[in-house]
Amino acid sequence: MRKSRNSATSLSRRTIMKGSLMAAAASGTATFFGPWRHNRVWAQGAKPIKLGLTCDASGQYGNSGQDDLRGMRLAIDEFNVKGGVLGRKIEWTTADTETNPATGTRIAERFIAQEQCGFLLGAVHSGVANAITQVAAKYGTIYFNTNSSAPSEAGENCSRVKFVWDGNGTNFSKAAVQNALEKIGKRWLLLTNDYVWGHTTSAATKAQVEKAGGQIIDNLLIPQNTRDFTSYLLKVQQIKPDVIATAVGGDDIKALRQQVSDLRLEDKAAWINNQQDWPDIWGAPETLFGVFGTTWYHLLPLPGIAEFVKRWQTAYPQSPIPVPGNVSYNGYMATRELLRAIVRAGSTNNLKVIKALEGHKMTAADRMQHFDAYIDPATHQVQQTIYLARRNAKPVDKTDLYEIISWTKPESALDDAAPGKCKLKPDAEVPSYEI
Amino acid sequence: MGTLLNLLPHLVNGITLGLLFALIALGFMLILGLMEQINLAHGSLFALGAYFAYAICAPRLPLPPDVLGMWAAVPLGWRFAAAVVLAPILVAPFGLVLERLMRRTYGRDPLYGLLLTFGVAMVLEELIRMVWGTRDYILPVPREMSGGFIMLDLIWSTYRFWAAALAIVAMAGVWAIVERTRFGAMVKAGAHDSEIVQALGIDLTRLRVWVFVLGTMLAAFAGVVLAPLWGIRPHMGVDAVVPAFLIIVLGGVGSFWGAAIGGLLVGMVVGLSGAYASEWSMLSMYLLLIAVVTLRARGLFGKKSVLEV
Repeated sequence: MRKSRNSATSLSRRTIMKGSLMAAAASGTATFFGPWRHNRVWAQGAKPIKLGLTCDASGQYGNSGQDDLRGMRLAIDEFNVKGGVLGRKIEWTTADTETNPATGTRIAERFIAQEQCGFLLGAVHSGVANAITQVAAKYGTIYFNTNSSAPSEAGENCSRVKFVWDGNGTNFSKAAVQNALEKIGKRWLLLTNDYVWGHTTSAATKAQVEKAGGQIIDNLLIPQNTRDFTSYLLKVQQIKPDVIATAVGGDDIKALRQQVSDLRLEDKAAWINNQQDWPDIWGAPETLFGVFGTTWYHLLPLPGIAEFVKRWQTAYPQSPIPVPGNVSYNGYMATRELLRAIVRAGSTNNLKVIKALEGHKMTAADRMQHFDAYIDPATHQVQQTIYLARRNAKPVDKTDLYEIISWTKPESALDDAAPGKCKLKPDAEVPSYEI
Repeated sequence: MGTLLNLLPHLVNGITLGLLFALIALGFMLILGLMEQINLAHGSLFALGAYFAYAICAPRLPLPPDVLGMWAAVPLGWRFAAAVVLAPILVAPFGLVLERLMRRTYGRDPLYGLLLTFGVAMVLEELIRMVWGTRDYILPVPREMSGGFIMLDLIWSTYRFWAAALAIVAMAGVWAIVERTRFGAMVKAGAHDSEIVQALGIDLTRLRVWVFVLGTMLAAFAGVVLAPLWGIRPHMGVDAVVPAFLIIVLGGVGSFWGAAIGGLLVGMVVGLSGAYASEWSMLSMYLLLIAVVTLRARGLFGKKSVLEV
């Protein structure tokens, strides 16, 4: 399914050339960095700035992708109400990336090359995020990975044009492992979704466990789209670990939770789910158990959250999920910060916007979290507050599913290995453009 | 001895899983085997069954509040029993419409029927999204059927064994209809030689309608039975149609026992690989298929089909 608003008038080659010269003259020299064949300059003036929102609407992360989209659209609407950015309206287009890297590649290519999107945002699945990154890097298009939390996204798969907005597997592991080792036990079993996010997240957990003196006694790989977990749950019972650390996401974690709850296995060992996305638990709160990580919760006792939730609910009265969760929050924050960065840069030139983002600090109050956050200039990952939560035994309303049990400073949950793995290209090697 | 004791739970799991796979494939087998039509909407009919069951059990029915209140007061066991019976009946009209749409594809290149049912599957999935939204649901199960019990020093899902028992009942019913009734004999004869059967004065069109409706109801029944295990979501049909298709090809098109044995084999392979080589558990069923069709192209119990022409 594809939606489009105010689709831009198609441009002739002559118009593009004229626009290029005018834009180059107006913006000084930045447009002419890099090899000629890589550079693009589109006609500007009152032309809207177009964003390509690469969101899953189907597949393992279909629900999360659409919640991500709701957050992005809210941010765009709020800017448009205020007159847009640099006097230009913000347009958006979206298409279903189907939780499928090949589809992600195809849609990213179309958004950039055919629909002239200046910026891409979206992805929950790390394979999709990485696929979009490859296309974005080819064109120099700035891409915001809003919700994929594989450590590799800000590690070996980082890119100068990509910014990663979610906490990653290592951040969550660092927040959770030490405490669990001390209080629960040293024999850990890993349940790992068999794709990039699962592997890199479990690798991060393993490293943290072993560093703290624990032992990984087995790692069961779970293929994507597994619906029957009985084999794994029998195996878990045979192995008898102290702690079961899961890196399972989307529809898979929903099915796993349901089956664990049905067997009342949640009390047989301590369960730690690296990160629990809100759309993956909404609708089945009775299957919530163990300890899990998140970056935000709509009932955190912080200023601004109630107003944000109200705005979100006003924008989406028919939403299948009645309140924003971490996924929609990330989509909103990422989009808002992109548009703010364009304002700070005073231009849509990608290199100027990248510079406006690198090292950018965001106050805790502005992000509605407990601690200040910043965009790590070495990895382009947003370093932010990491929360651990468990099922709320005393909910104040039907949306109050979580009890937040700890919040960790970004510095304490930092992914130390990422800067060593991430090699960001210098300006001269990034194709430049301005829309 | 220790190894055997470790293996035994996974063998038991493989059998129960296999029965569930066979149940999913049953309706697909009936339509493909007796009508030689590939119904790719099978998964969506499976999903519809699960959603109707949820509407009956939860209950979320379009009824006046006082009537709905009375129905909600009925014990869950009765509501669940009603869902098992009524959901397939409610899905049956969808099968009727689909069969009517498919008539123009009979006797033509199988690709036409394939494309039509693929389109219908997409329409049905979208319809589900429009009516029930994109969120997930869990089908409530009576207390007596839910939870776990201890066997071989492990906790097992009680409902899983109930589901396996329901699968056996459904398979026995289909076997009796196809192998032990005049209706079954006529349908099989019609699939074998439609001209002769029509020459004998049997209304083959009406027979085909009944076969399609029966296949549809079986898909919906499988959806009801599997919903408490897999959860209910709009695209759950995809999770069903792929193994169903694979099992039919593996077991042999048109063979009841092929579907049953194929389902058990797939369940066993997926169950054992899940326990001992988890990264292969999803792939294992495809490897099994490759192995079988390499040795016997028509599957384990397959006979020559018009689809081969």
